[in-house]
Parts: sequence; structure tokens; C-alpha cells
Amino acid sequence: MNREDYRKAFDELSFSADFQKRTADLLRTRARELEKEHSNMTFSKPKKMAVLIAACIALLAVSVSAAMLWLTPAQVAQEHNQPLLAEAFNGPDAILLNETVESGDFSITLLGLVSGRNLDTLNPDLEKDHTYSVLALRRLDGTPLENETFDFMQYTMTPLVAGTSPAAVNNWTLDAGATGMAKDGVYYYLLDTASIEMFADRTVYMAFYEGFAPNNAIFTVAEDGTIAFAEDFTGVHALFTLPLDPARADRAAADAFVESTGMNGWSNERTDPKGEWDIQRRETADGEELILRPKGEQ
Amino acid sequence: MVPFGTDETISRIVSSYSGMLLRLACTRLQSTADAEDAVQETFLRLLTARPVFRDPEHERAWLVRTTLQRASDIRRKAEQRNIPLEDAAEPAAPESPGEELRSAVRALPEMYGAVIHLHYYEGYSIKEIARLLGLPAATVGTRLARGRERLRQMLREDVV
Repeated sequence: MNREDYRKAFDELSFSADFQKRTADLLRTRARELEKEHSNMTFSKPKKMAVLIAACIALLAVSVSAAMLWLTPAQVAQEHNQPLLAEAFNGPDAILLNETVESGDFSITLLGLVSGRNLDTLNPDLEKDHTYSVLALRRLDGTPLENETFDFMQYTMTPLVAGTSPAAVNNWTLDAGATGMAKDGVYYYLLDTASIEMFADRTVYMAFYEGFAPNNAIFTVAEDGTIAFAEDFTGVHALFTLPLDPARADRAAADAFVESTGMNGWSNERTDPKGEWDIQRRETADGEELILRPKGEQ
Repeated sequence: MVPFGTDETISRIVSSYSGMLLRLACTRLQSTADAEDAVQETFLRLLTARPVFRDPEHERAWLVRTTLQRASDIRRKAEQRNIPLEDAAEPAAPESPGEELRSAVRALPEMYGAVIHLHYYEGYSIKEIARLLGLPAATVGTRLARGRERLRQMLREDVV
């Protein structure tokens, strides 16, 4: 095959002769409808307009207070002296979510994520794409969270992928590094993992919970692969579904990754209530390293 | 740029991009009717989302990415319809070399198909494809090489 053969093959395709006319007509009709909806909303109903203005003022107030309440992911990156990452969070490929779940005493907000290469100036990794995710945590009663008192290690923020075992795709298998910081009473997690875009054609989650490595006391996996928190899990928890672009999926790489972990088995039955991991903690220059090994493995 | 929604811009966008986007959608969809749906939905999304484009290249990139995404959605929905494997008919033998090639492109992983098409049909360079798809140029180069290799295996011939 050469370029000529390729072009010939796609030039053979036959589309509706009236496609362009039909489409342009459809778009013009839709544009007029949108214009009409817009003018109805803004001009022809003065009473509604007044209500709308009042609503806008209220919304503005909420937006201002929200802006004061949360840093944006870009601002969190700046706080960590990561200008390239901040720029990426302001760029077209960033996914900004601002989704909040209330659980226990906390409000948990997944602010956003972005994937790319060489975005981390402190730990450049020329070989791999990474995904950076930012989550905000605040107390519902307004008590400020502070660096000195908040137990960062008590909680886990990790990606999970439907159809794969939570033991196979998680922070530990994705070589994650998490950092935390408190600012104005809100605690921010910045999670750096190997890129999760390869899984983008499946349901990909970001889980936040009180606890440690994923096990069947925390999660259950349904027959269709859906992952949920165990019904009797009582710790703080939130599970967000990530709107990744399926076109960026790499099924072969994802399957190879899962295979390479050797951890894709899962049972919801709890034969070992302590979980299936041995955990070692080691102090490092910039924090603490947690090493997990399947029980019994050296 | 002039906002999309005026008669003039609708005409310009539909006439400028329809052919390119329809063929691009056919790298993921077998049916040309489905490809027409994907492209129409892309234009409708442009109308309702009203993105602001920096320049014509940004506009083209948005249309390319959205079309690929819509085509993937349509394909995935079709695949999710419950057709038990044992009831599925044997795929018909390709009727022409052209159909054989298109079928091979559709069988490629999506990330390879788009790159192959933009290079072989539209004549874009690796750097241009990288900008269109928002990928590093090295990734595009790798996908082009691997996609070409897979096509070669499927077609059992040289792909240059």
C-alpha cells in the first residue's frame, strides 16, 4: 500500500449527495432556535429577567465564595513550584471537574486532572506520560485543616479501573507519588501516577478513602466489573468517575500493564480479614515510602 | 474568529470540512450513514458549545478530535448492542482492494487509525498530526510506525 492506494480506497467512499446541504440547513435551523431561546430568555420576559438578575447575583456570590474557598488545580501546582504543571492545568487537555461528595465529617472535591509528559520540573521522567490529579478536602463543620495536625497518611487517593482488579490498577502499581498541603483551612492532595489515559475506553475512577491499599474490606467488584465501596465500609470515602477521552485509550498497553502486575485476581469474599498485603514503611529524604507486597511474598 | 452560527460561517465550515471529517469518521465506522451522523453531531456540538478558536488550525484540531470522539461513541454503542457471538454472521469477504484496505484501517486500534489516515490521506506531517491530536510528536511517530506495521501484516504486503 502506498499513499495513492490509500487515497483511492477512501475516495471510493460514497456519501449522501445532499449531505452538505442537509447539514447546513439543519445547523441554520438549530442556530435560529438557539437565537430565539436566547432572546426569549433575555428580552421578552421582563419579570423573568428580574428573577434572572437576582439569580445571577446569587450565583456570582456563590462563585466568589467558591473561588475563595478552593484553589484551582493550577494554583495547587504553583504552590508546589510546578509551573509547567500549572500551565497544563490551564491548557486545553486539562479535565476540570469540581465534583464534590460529602462523607463523614468531610467534603471531598475532585478538582481536576491532566495527563502529559515532562510536566514535573522536580522529578522529570522523559520516558513516560503521567497523570496529575488534584483533590480538595475540607471539614463540613468549618474547622480548618492544617499541615501540623492533618494525618495525610490516614487517607488514600487512587485511580481504579472497572473490569480490572482494584489490586491490579492502583497507586502502588501505577508508581504513584502523593503530596499534600493545607491552605486556608483546606487540604489539597496532588497525586502523580503513571498515565491512566491508556484505560480511557473503560470506566476509570478516582477513589478517596480512609484506609490503605485497596482490599475487599474496602471495595467490591460486581460481575460486570463495576467497582464500588463495600456496603459495610464506614470510613470517609468518595468515588468519582473520570471523563477521559476514549480516543486516548491504548487497550493493548492497558492489558499488558494489568498482566504485568500479576494482581488481577479479585474475590469479594473475605477469607483474610487483614487484607492481602504486607506493608513496610521507610523514611525517605522527602517523606515516607510505603512498600506493599502480596502476603507471603519476599 | 467569527462565531459559528451565522449563515456565512455555517456554509464555510460545512463546505470546508465535511469531506475530510466524513472520511476520517470512516476510519472508525463501517457505515457511511454512521459517519454522516458523527460529523453532523460534531457540527451541532460546535454550534451549541461555541468554543473560541485561536486560529484556523485550532478550529481544525477541535473538529478532528470531536469527530473521532463521536465516531468512537457510535462504534462503541453499536458494539454494545447484544449480539451473541455465535449468532453473528461470518464477515463477508471484502469486495474490492479498497474495501479490504478500509476494513484493515478500521481494525487497527483507534490510536493508530487516526494517525495513519491523517498522514496517508490528508498528507499531514508527524508534527502537524501531533498538533491536531494534541500528542507529542514522538508518540505520533511511534503510532505511525506501529500502525503501518499492523496494516502490513493485515494486508500481507509492503506499506510504504
